[in-house]
Amino acid sequence: MSLTGLDGAWIAGAVWGLAAATLLPALAALAPALPDALRHRVPRALAAAACGVAAIAGARALAGAAPPPLAWWPGFPGEPFTLAGDALSAPFLLLFGLVGAASFAAHRPNGTPRGAAARLSLHAGFGLALLAVLAAQHVLLFLIAWEAMTLLSAALVAHETQSLRARSATYVYLALSHAGAACIALALFTLSAKANSFRFDALAAAYSNLPAPEAARLAWWFTAGFAVKLGLLPLHVWLPLAHPEAPGPVSAMLSGVMVKAGLYGLLRFAWQMPGAPPAGWGTVLVVAGIASAIAGALYAAVEPDAKRLLAWSTVKNAGVIALATGLSALLADAGQLALAGVAMAAALYHAVGHGLAKALAFLSVGEAVHAGGSRHLDRLGGLANRMPRVSLAALVATLSLCALPALPCFAGEWLVYQSLMLGYTAGAGQLRLLAPFAGAALALATALAVAALVKLYGIAFLGRPRTEAAAAAHDAPRGTGLVLLSFAALPVLWGLAAPWMARSLAAPLGALLPGFDASSLAGPAGLMLLPESSGGSSIAPAVVALLAGLFALIAFLWLRAAHGGRRPVRRAPSWTCGAPVDARAQYTALGLTKPLRLVFEPVLRARREVEVLEEGSPYFARRLRYRSALPAVFEQWLYRPFVQAVLWTSERIRGLQAGSLHLYLAYLLATLVALLLWAR
Amino acid sequence: MVTLTVVLQTVLIVALAPLWNGVVARLKARLQMRRGAPVLQGYRDLFRLAGKETVLSEQASPLARVAPYLLVGAAVTICAWTPVVTTSPGLAFAGDLVMTVALLAAMRVLLALLALEAGTTFGGMGASRHLALSALAEPALMLAVFTLALNARSTNLAAISAAVQASPHAWISPSHLLALTAVWIVVVSETGRVPVDNPATHLELTMIHEGMLLDLSGHHLALVEWATAVRQLVLLTLVANLFLPWGIAGSLAPAALGLALLAWLGKLLGFAVVVALTESLTAKMRLFRVPEFLGMAFLLSLIALTSDTLLGK
Repeated sequence: MSLTGLDGAWIAGAVWGLAAATLLPALAALAPALPDALRHRVPRALAAAACGVAAIAGARALAGAAPPPLAWWPGFPGEPFTLAGDALSAPFLLLFGLVGAASFAAHRPNGTPRGAAARLSLHAGFGLALLAVLAAQHVLLFLIAWEAMTLLSAALVAHETQSLRARSATYVYLALSHAGAACIALALFTLSAKANSFRFDALAAAYSNLPAPEAARLAWWFTAGFAVKLGLLPLHVWLPLAHPEAPGPVSAMLSGVMVKAGLYGLLRFAWQMPGAPPAGWGTVLVVAGIASAIAGALYAAVEPDAKRLLAWSTVKNAGVIALATGLSALLADAGQLALAGVAMAAALYHAVGHGLAKALAFLSVGEAVHAGGSRHLDRLGGLANRMPRVSLAALVATLSLCALPALPCFAGEWLVYQSLMLGYTAGAGQLRLLAPFAGAALALATALAVAALVKLYGIAFLGRPRTEAAAAAHDAPRGTGLVLLSFAALPVLWGLAAPWMARSLAAPLGALLPGFDASSLAGPAGLMLLPESSGGSSIAPAVVALLAGLFALIAFLWLRAAHGGRRPVRRAPSWTCGAPVDARAQYTALGLTKPLRLVFEPVLRARREVEVLEEGSPYFARRLRYRSALPAVFEQWLYRPFVQAVLWTSERIRGLQAGSLHLYLAYLLATLVALLLWAR
Repeated sequence: MVTLTVVLQTVLIVALAPLWNGVVARLKARLQMRRGAPVLQGYRDLFRLAGKETVLSEQASPLARVAPYLLVGAAVTICAWTPVVTTSPGLAFAGDLVMTVALLAAMRVLLALLALEAGTTFGGMGASRHLALSALAEPALMLAVFTLALNARSTNLAAISAAVQASPHAWISPSHLLALTAVWIVVVSETGRVPVDNPATHLELTMIHEGMLLDLSGHHLALVEWATAVRQLVLLTLVANLFLPWGIAGSLAPAALGLALLAWLGKLLGFAVVVALTESLTAKMRLFRVPEFLGMAFLLSLIALTSDTLLGK
């Protein structure tokens, strides 16, 4: 194939394209004489194209191409900074490329020209860092990229500097990310000291030769660090705060791709490099996954903020991915290689499928929120008739995230159910105990997520506009609408072609579970997602979609024939029992999921106060004030004691700093004496 | 022959779906010493609705015109692999237990979105209650059938049915009975029957399903009603043929098929009697008691699922 010669060049092209897109807006801002197109249109197109090239690199690596690594620098201690897409990073590169291309294509300049240029530059820089994280083969490059990814995305989260909410979100995000990065850096430096090299291949060799307890300790450090990015409970607190604050296209990359970079790190450093994850790793991931899936779905269901709802849904899906990964580790540990492969295929398939669907959701909801002027669902409504293009994209994303059949999030969950069931009957160790609860949790989380997403689409896009701003909303420009609608085809395709897509994950599956035959994931017709040794369970998403379409068509044609032609539909005001039609009569976001909130009251511990402001008669108050809030449980119970301890300690330490020069000299003297005594 | 049975089973469910409601209504009427409407009243209502003018809310988006057809499509698709008279696989390669539950969820999503289209209180009320109750009912359904799937080592519905039939004493095991109890609670809730919902009421304080349909009319309403009836019969068939699979044909011999048809109709009639008796003898629950009722189903099915491990099998 003529593409082969290019394999090494794809990643280089992507890197240079994104680097140019980062620098151009900054340069253009410094030199006002430059033409206007250089400020926005050119760098944006460049970044989108570079991401497209990265997607090709990912697809080629999935197909088995192994280009020589791209040596970039003469090197720090004699070793070049190397970038390459290998088997494990391939699906992540593909996801990054696809989401990135859409994200840059949908990026629109708002605000002052300088602000817009800065935002585009940061966005492209963030993309570049993300690409480098996924392709780095060198410890220092990886750490620099990881840190740049965190800092640049934090800058984008904080872009609305006036907002107190954005600032505090950035703070929490940075604090937790750096705690995670510290764990990763510690483990990576320990490992490179052992390997006496910064290259990943040397690291892998040293890692697998370490004595088991030492390797396990390192793997746990890595796990703690990457679990922060993946947003697993209880390290998820930053995610629902930070993801919604960024502009839509950036949120799409944060939730769609950056969360998956956490999964990539977990798989690379806690699984692939040591050869197998440490003992107990699978159980921890399954338990954390169960907790994240349920908590994410539940909080999404009761969340009234459109973008934060999507961020909570990301926590839910990260939980599902962690559950599948942990399951795979447990099954591999029990010697069930075929089943471990099914679970790992579920994790990777779901990671990409959810990435595409969530990116689409953030892109379209971002547009809707921009047009409607508020993120609060109760200030939107009726957007479907005002923004048809954006709404269609949002509908596809909503239905995808509901894990409806033939859409991208379904087949992954199906694979998880299969590996749970067969792993249970195979009687693999702790699975006997964990599997029923994992199955129950997955079913419950999926059902709750459905309530959350129906609320998102139903309240924001359907019904009557609740504010004047929502009533005056206009559809996104034709170009952006086209980008959204063409990107919407990708998740649908990923879902419809699930069997082929799952089978195409052979390369990363082989890298993690050597000896697993990915072709067993699909049946002879290529239509079925058919795990080997499953007692004949199979699904064919494309056939199901075809059947449903066929039956709908039959119903349509039958009714039409019975009526003798097209059936007229008369438009009339909604029936409200004769009362005047009022937008306030509609259910609110809070009201729609209030029953769920009451059912899960013991967990959610919602606070509510009702205050009578004006008494009309003893039974009917004239004016009421109603306040309700959900306490941030994790912040309160888990983080606050820790933060308070830190504050308390620093308060005590501050006493040492009296500002007197003599005192400081005395400290110096005391330290010197202590050192001399100790070194004696 | 396989294709023929698939088509036949699908047509059977689709055609008989409105009949079951008629039978229950008739039985209830007899229990209340009334004569009641004819058994075929459901069909008359549907055809009358289909012939009427369709009025759509001014607020409704294009989705409102497509969703009724999609609902029918989703409901009928489930029939393609539901074992009605035979456990011969048919289209079972396309869908299984998880796919069935996902298609039921798809119907729930479409119905709730349809209810929110008009932007009225009733639609929101119905959607809100429906979402909350299904969020508990569907996991319970999934787990209850999963209990059987574990023993069959397959999520293929026909394989589950055959496996339960093949082990003669499996149905007396605690896990099977617990799962059966759980699934019956789910069926009662999902089909909107007393004590969860009352299909005969239009009182806003109590209604769930009817609330969602209040703004629909004409052929849209007919389509949605038919789709809901099909869903109801599919759920009943699942109970009949997965949990009580006696009589279902293992082969495609005409005699066995005839017997299986009779067995299926007999089980459905039995369910109709149970439902009619329940509706006549018990009152509807207060809405916020229902989650406890469904939570019980969820717990029962979880116990059913773990009981094999707990009993050390």
